[in-house]
Amino acid sequence: MTFANGYSTRRVDTMMGTRTENKTQARKSASPNFVSANGTRVGRPTSPSRDRLIYVLTCLVGHHVEVHVKNGSIISGIFHATNADGDFEIVLKMAQVIKDGSVRERKSDHDNIKKPQPMVIPARELVQVLAKDVSLSSDEFTAGQSCEKQKDLMTDSVISHSHHLDMARELAPWMPDEEDPECPELENIFDGSFDRKWDQFETNEALFGVKSTFNEELYTTKLERGPQMRDIEKLALKIAREIEGEETQDLHLAEERGFSYHDDFDLDEESRYSAVRREVNDTGFRENENSDMEAYGSGIFAGSLGLATSGSCSDSLSKQIGNETQASSTSSSVVEEACLHTLADKGLGLSSVDANNELKSDCIARSPSFDDEIRLDDNQIKDQGGKSERMAIQDSQTSIDVNMSIKLEEVSISAPLYDPSSSSQGNIVTESSDSPVRGKFPAASESVDPPIRQGSSTSSSEYVRAESNRPFLSPSTSCGSLSSEKSTLNPNAKEFKLNPNAKSFTPSSSVRLHAAVPDGSFYQASNVNAVQHMHGLPPGMGVGPSFSHQPVFYNPQAAQIQSPQAYIHPNGPVYGQQMIVGQHPQFYYVQSYPPEMPHKGRKF
Amino acid sequence: MEGGNGEELAVGCVLSLRTTLGDEIEGQIIAYDRPSNILVIHILLALVNPMSLLFLFDVSLSSILFFDRSATQEGSSKAGPRRNIRLLKANYIQDFTYLRKAGDPIDPNKCYIDLAGLQAREEASMRQAEIEAERIGVGVTSEAQSIFDALSKTLPVHWDKTVIVVMNEVRVSSPYLPENVSGGTPAANDRVKKVLDFERKRLQARVPG
Repeated sequence: MTFANGYSTRRVDTMMGTRTENKTQARKSASPNFVSANGTRVGRPTSPSRDRLIYVLTCLVGHHVEVHVKNGSIISGIFHATNADGDFEIVLKMAQVIKDGSVRERKSDHDNIKKPQPMVIPARELVQVLAKDVSLSSDEFTAGQSCEKQKDLMTDSVISHSHHLDMARELAPWMPDEEDPECPELENIFDGSFDRKWDQFETNEALFGVKSTFNEELYTTKLERGPQMRDIEKLALKIAREIEGEETQDLHLAEERGFSYHDDFDLDEESRYSAVRREVNDTGFRENENSDMEAYGSGIFAGSLGLATSGSCSDSLSKQIGNETQASSTSSSVVEEACLHTLADKGLGLSSVDANNELKSDCIARSPSFDDEIRLDDNQIKDQGGKSERMAIQDSQTSIDVNMSIKLEEVSISAPLYDPSSSSQGNIVTESSDSPVRGKFPAASESVDPPIRQGSSTSSSEYVRAESNRPFLSPSTSCGSLSSEKSTLNPNAKEFKLNPNAKSFTPSSSVRLHAAVPDGSFYQASNVNAVQHMHGLPPGMGVGPSFSHQPVFYNPQAAQIQSPQAYIHPNGPVYGQQMIVGQHPQFYYVQSYPPEMPHKGRKF
Repeated sequence: MEGGNGEELAVGCVLSLRTTLGDEIEGQIIAYDRPSNILVIHILLALVNPMSLLFLFDVSLSSILFFDRSATQEGSSKAGPRRNIRLLKANYIQDFTYLRKAGDPIDPNKCYIDLAGLQAREEASMRQAEIEAERIGVGVTSEAQSIFDALSKTLPVHWDKTVIVVMNEVRVSSPYLPENVSGGTPAANDRVKKVLDFERKRLQARVPG
């Protein structure tokens, strides 16, 4: 609400000597409407000069001012009111005497501090009033007032979108001042080598007596340190290097690895560096899935020291297998390559597992160069063999894929390294017997180097061809194709018994199935442990790209279901192989962790 | 300076004046009210007498002069950013020099008062001042206040008369030595002791003697 003073017609050449016409004018225009700051009407004959003074004083209301008084004291406070009718006494709120004129000696400031209180300064004491940063006209007002009004609540978005609100704040990109001596550290912060001598916990304890209860193993896999540690570590580093040197379609990974991405320089900072997920279509998902697999690949193989890690790989793979099962023309993904050629290092001799699996046969060609790689113990080989198998299934024939996936799963599951019982893995487990498959799989994990990789030998030409023929797809998609037609894949899983009492699952946008659980209880202990090792492996298939990350809790009443047959994600694509839940509504998605899977490619 | 200054004190004139307090000011007249003898001047340049500020600033007694320059253009009636304003009782003007004449510093056509805005601003200032007042201990030494300020950087502290209360549990009473820390859980107590010790050392290092 604005209030106009009647200044518009006032002549301003002189203030002195109220000219008659000015007086009349002023009185007419000013006196009837003008209300002084403290609410009293200006009854006296006003002069334009007085009006101006009153105006200025009004502008000062709420402003922090300093009042100098006759005895030399200075009082600081918030200007509250003045007596415009009288002699212009000043009323201040939250006022304090900051300098006492009667005291000559210099004293410690705080000895005299009293609580701030309202003060009235009589006109005869007044010497001068000082005010800083006062805005006197409407131009200054609008910029100032609106800013001040909202100063308390200004958020960044408000400031940056100032065009909406006319904030009149000129935004300029931040530039550092001349090299502040303290700032250069920021530039070099990563240049120095990692200081292994500094222990943050020790420091904290010394400084503040805070004892740390940090145990690394609570948060990550326990490293098995043993005689083979060095070998394993070397191998892991090698694998990591290979993976990190790969080409990638993912924007972020490409940047990390130093590849220029796609010659597409339309990307602004946001798409390059924002963590906000923008891709919602399948294509995007595939691309990201690809990177996911890479991430997993490097993560898993580089740290191929724990079972859980391998387990997680299989888990994630299985999960991804669930997607896009109809990836009929899935091509080998980079991840697959990664996994494959890393596995190839193991010197595994893979024989063709399935005659129908063209790719398998392609992969058989063993790269001699890999034979002299570090040999891992059998477990790991088998382990990774299983995984590579899984990943290697980039076949266009879905059924084959399915079969293969089943077998792969079988291998991985039955690998002795896997603690989690196969029951928990559930989804893409074949019921075919383990042993023959196992025998075949390790061989099949022969990796075929992608043609793009330098230094990798032996790519079978067929493989290359196969790869080029197929549209680029992430391994997840290809793995997705592995989703089995057969629902009961896990030979060790308990047989599914329909539980008519279990609540029917109603897909909702947020998959919070625990709401559907009748008594809200969670999956029971034994299974939970098993599932934990799976790192979120869903027994069900068909996780759509937009799968929500909510853990879904198993209905204990339906506990017989060790491997739910199919989970149709409400937002995900429905693939042919999956069992459509018709009569059997109790398909719960078991998951104890938020899925790592739809991890859009950003490996931190 | 007595009356009859006619033209010299017209609105818009730029003057250089000296007050009886010793300040030298150069500024433009915004308003002059004869009956109350108050001159409203928009400060362009001010040399403040260091003697008058001796008690305000923690500086040595050397004569330090500083300038107080406003951000707006001289003599321009264009409304710019904020200004520094002084309301001076004209009887405290020792002498002045008329420098030049310029236009009206405030445009009468644009003078609006937003009462609601003013009240809001006042409330906001009050709130802010109250918050700051909370931080100042009443009747405590400046050393105590420094300790309080140092502690408040990392711990939630408030005053209880002359006792510093940390995290609502631990109390530090005068003379604010680690021995005076009491209350709270042992862990909190120890922590406050350590921080107090640390801050004291730091203060001593910074202000020796």
